Amino acid sequence: MLRLDGPLVPNILLKLTTRSFEPRRATRVRIRDRDDEIIDEAVVTLFPAPGSFTGNHTAEISLHGSPFLVERCISEALHLGARLAEPGEFSERAVLNGKIDLLQAEAIVDLIESRSVLQASLALSHLGGSFSRAAEEIRGELLELLTLLEGALDFADEGYEFIRRDQLLDRLKKLNRRLELLAGTFRRGRAVREGIRLVLLGQPNAGKSTLLNLLVGSDRAIVTAVPGTTRDLLRETIEMAGLPVTVVDTAGLRETEDVVEGIGVERAHAAAEEAEIVLYLVDARFGIVEADRQELTRHPGAFILYTKRDLADPPEGCWSIAATTGDGLDDLLSRLTSVTRERFDLGSAGPAITNQRQLTAVEQGYEAVASAIRAVESDTTEEFVAVDLYRAAGALEALTGAISAADARAEVFSRFCIGK
Amino acid sequence: MNRHFDVIVIGGGHAGAEASRAAARRGLRVALVTMSRDAIARMSCNPAIGGLAKGHLVKEIDALGGLMAQATDQSAIQYKLLNRSKGPAVQGPRAQCDRDLYPRAVQSILGREANITIIEGSATRLISSGTSAVRGVLLDGNEELLAKATIVTSGTFLRGLMHFGEEKKVGGRFDEPSAETLSDSLRELGLKLGRLKTGTPPRVHRDSLDLSRMEEQPGDRTPRTFSIDTDGVRLPQVLCWLTRTTELTHSLIRENLHRAPMYSGQIEGVGPRYCPSIEDKVVRFADKAHHHVFVEPEGLSTDWIYLNGISTSLPTDVQERVVRSITGLENAAIARFGYAVEYDFVNPQQLLPTLQVRGVQGLFLAGQINGTSGYEEAAAQGLIAGINAAASVLRESEFILRRDQAYIGVLIDDLVTLGTEEPYRMFTSRAEHRLLLGCDSVYERLTPLGAKLGIVSADRLQRAEARTSRMRAVQEQLESTDVNPDAPTRLWSEAFGAAVTSPTSAAKLLTRMALEGIHVDADGAPGPELAAALGSFLELNEEEREGVVSRIRYAGYLDKQEREAARLRQDDHARIPVGFSFERPGFSREVQEKLDRIRPHSLGQASRIPGVTPAAVSLLRMYLRQEASGGRTTDRASESLS
Repeated sequence: MLRLDGPLVPNILLKLTTRSFEPRRATRVRIRDRDDEIIDEAVVTLFPAPGSFTGNHTAEISLHGSPFLVERCISEALHLGARLAEPGEFSERAVLNGKIDLLQAEAIVDLIESRSVLQASLALSHLGGSFSRAAEEIRGELLELLTLLEGALDFADEGYEFIRRDQLLDRLKKLNRRLELLAGTFRRGRAVREGIRLVLLGQPNAGKSTLLNLLVGSDRAIVTAVPGTTRDLLRETIEMAGLPVTVVDTAGLRETEDVVEGIGVERAHAAAEEAEIVLYLVDARFGIVEADRQELTRHPGAFILYTKRDLADPPEGCWSIAATTGDGLDDLLSRLTSVTRERFDLGSAGPAITNQRQLTAVEQGYEAVASAIRAVESDTTEEFVAVDLYRAAGALEALTGAISAADARAEVFSRFCIGK
Repeated sequence: MNRHFDVIVIGGGHAGAEASRAAARRGLRVALVTMSRDAIARMSCNPAIGGLAKGHLVKEIDALGGLMAQATDQSAIQYKLLNRSKGPAVQGPRAQCDRDLYPRAVQSILGREANITIIEGSATRLISSGTSAVRGVLLDGNEELLAKATIVTSGTFLRGLMHFGEEKKVGGRFDEPSAETLSDSLRELGLKLGRLKTGTPPRVHRDSLDLSRMEEQPGDRTPRTFSIDTDGVRLPQVLCWLTRTTELTHSLIRENLHRAPMYSGQIEGVGPRYCPSIEDKVVRFADKAHHHVFVEPEGLSTDWIYLNGISTSLPTDVQERVVRSITGLENAAIARFGYAVEYDFVNPQQLLPTLQVRGVQGLFLAGQINGTSGYEEAAAQGLIAGINAAASVLRESEFILRRDQAYIGVLIDDLVTLGTEEPYRMFTSRAEHRLLLGCDSVYERLTPLGAKLGIVSADRLQRAEARTSRMRAVQEQLESTDVNPDAPTRLWSEAFGAAVTSPTSAAKLLTRMALEGIHVDADGAPGPELAAALGSFLELNEEEREGVVSRIRYAGYLDKQEREAARLRQDDHARIPVGFSFERPGFSREVQEKLDRIRPHSLGQASRIPGVTPAAVSLLRMYLRQEASGGRTTDRASESLS
């Protein structure tokens, strides 16, 4: 499909099809080139400004798929004054025209790049404005508090009480709790957007590669009885709990003279430190030995999984598997899924921060409100508290990118309603 | 017959007075046209100057070489600093003035300017060349005054219509005629006019009041005068009183709302939201059982009392009953009834930040004609219009104050950028850099600018410079004086509730002490260095002391605002060339229309237009950069396809 956007669209369409179009109605029509030769029979829909996605005149042309036909049609459009779009330019135009805000534009990118159901549905919810509304609610509360503070400053001699200090403090603290919770959604948002990493650690021959092959469902890793077979990191992606999960097989952890294996061991540690989930594999026949204890102190968050349970009984109630037969796989997956869901709060609906830009804005808002709270607690007068609250409001405005600071101030002002 | 001047000022109100004087001080010949010489700088409404944010304006006018602060000090009968419990940036000095002495003080200041010719008469129309330049004004239909610049400061007189209940009377002020035809001249130049209204409360005779039933409102014990030229209080100081409306007041008003022109629909103009009539307040704050009424003497030689807080347009019979329903006013004899006045104003979005009408050479507007309310707002604009009219005659560069420089900058930027739909009043909350705009720093910020323009007297400049360096020196001395927690110092400091227990600086110590009553013992108790630092601190006057302490105490906040201001300043300095086209790809039609209507002079101003999004501002910034670098704009015009 070909999409045209901009003020020249009706003109170009007229030249390509020699007819006019009803708004938003898919119409079958012949596309002709400058020599009046038919390029293709296409379906054309015109979305006139300002009701289109970008706010400009937009047309969508569905052709018969052959790259050759599409090429010809593009070259005709270029001939008639069009140019190729820059990456993301349609969304950029929509932002410029105020049709969507920055959060929604970012959701579009996430949607296009989505690799899992969860990511797609979070992006869709953001695109629908769920995040923007959450940001707007917090900003609205900030503006309301600002209006009260400003009233107290500008109408101090009227004998009205705008807000008591304890009420102000209470509302500020609630506000900061909301910002804190919102900042906390980054765990979920990042997990949903970027997926998570599951690192398999353990002594040589604990069965890590066998487990990787089992999880992936193919013989991805070379498995031998020789300890130290895996030297480098091996990564495979599976889906779990609705997320893309990168499973990382690592070199067995042991003291070694072998330079290559030594590097592999270091990489294993590094991977585990960055990973969201670490599985530490223990051969059920030997149980946890001194060497394991040392490794586990280094990776305290790791889950212990007993392997080769077909050869020896693991301790009661522990995670275990027989990776060669696949016995215990379902159980392991369901345990991992529930850990993931819990750890990344995947059960929550609602918007979540998905990138660093958003996180920075929310954290700035949090920091500014925290500073306002300290100011109120130390009995600083309203004009100073207001400085922090305007900063906080500014951070939330930056989050959506839709409102200017001047507009925000005007908004505070329009709420003023008092007299002398 | 015609006469030639450099600048003509139409109207002798608070805007007209400042405008005339500013232009005259530049050595230009000024004609001040007023209906009556005696009416110059008359106080049409309350006999008071200053207040929250308005007081800041008056100080700024003083710092720039204007006359309002001086005239106030010559006629003040009560000084009061409002918001005393807050920080200095939001404190507002206010003075109750003698209604007769204030205008006389202004008239005498103007009388000392040899360059001002006061001409009594009524401006009937502007003399223009087409719609792009104004050359002067026609006086009473027969005399032509010609000048390179004309400043219209018509106040409430443009098609002024007064309302006393159902009764209507043409006029701009009690017993004074209106200007009926000048509006047509403005319309012919393509200006859009609107209608606003304002009101004034009834005045009563003092001997008919029972003041014992009211709360006394004395002025400040140590009055803070307005002008840096003033040494001490000139006139005897008086008391004011506070009383309140009653349930009877409110029910009387509710029963008679249909007779109040605003509610009956008789008045088409929009009223001031921030200074509403008592009718408005009773309706809008229905749950409030009482409203404050400030009982303010109008002067030393009159027994008229101004009832601040009950401006009204109710018919006289109702007004009398309303007044008498107020505590202590049961037997009040009314000296003059309150009334509402409607008048024409010009949407100020049609002005440049110099207050020149956009696209009309030689025509400037200032004061209530631009949609403001208040003497101080009017005077501030008058000063700026006078300065810029003079600059245009002298072919000098324009004078525009930024929002982080002065409330005057905020005032004018708000007017020309946002316009107004109701009488505009200044508030501290309108200034986003309010902490930088405290009264304590006004001479530091503005007097050098006024001096450069040549409108600040040598005397005022010298005082301002001395004050600035005095405050800086004391601050530096305090900051560099170490205080050690030795026994005598500890003992001494405990007396001020700020016991020194660890090494600190005199500056830090000072922020913890109660400022009142600080003294240095004769035996030099806190030690010689600290005593010396405190000694120089104590030599400052109260306002300077508070300024120094607040700069030390709130340094963190001041830094934050200064950084923010510095960031935004860059946008204010990014000028948009005259004639720059906003018809460019990427701007939505809405944004483009707004930019075209306001024609912002800088990127900063553009960013403050409501509805101009941050994205649009970024795009505009890019276009300006391209234009500045002389590069051809990349054509983002065009259609894009994917």
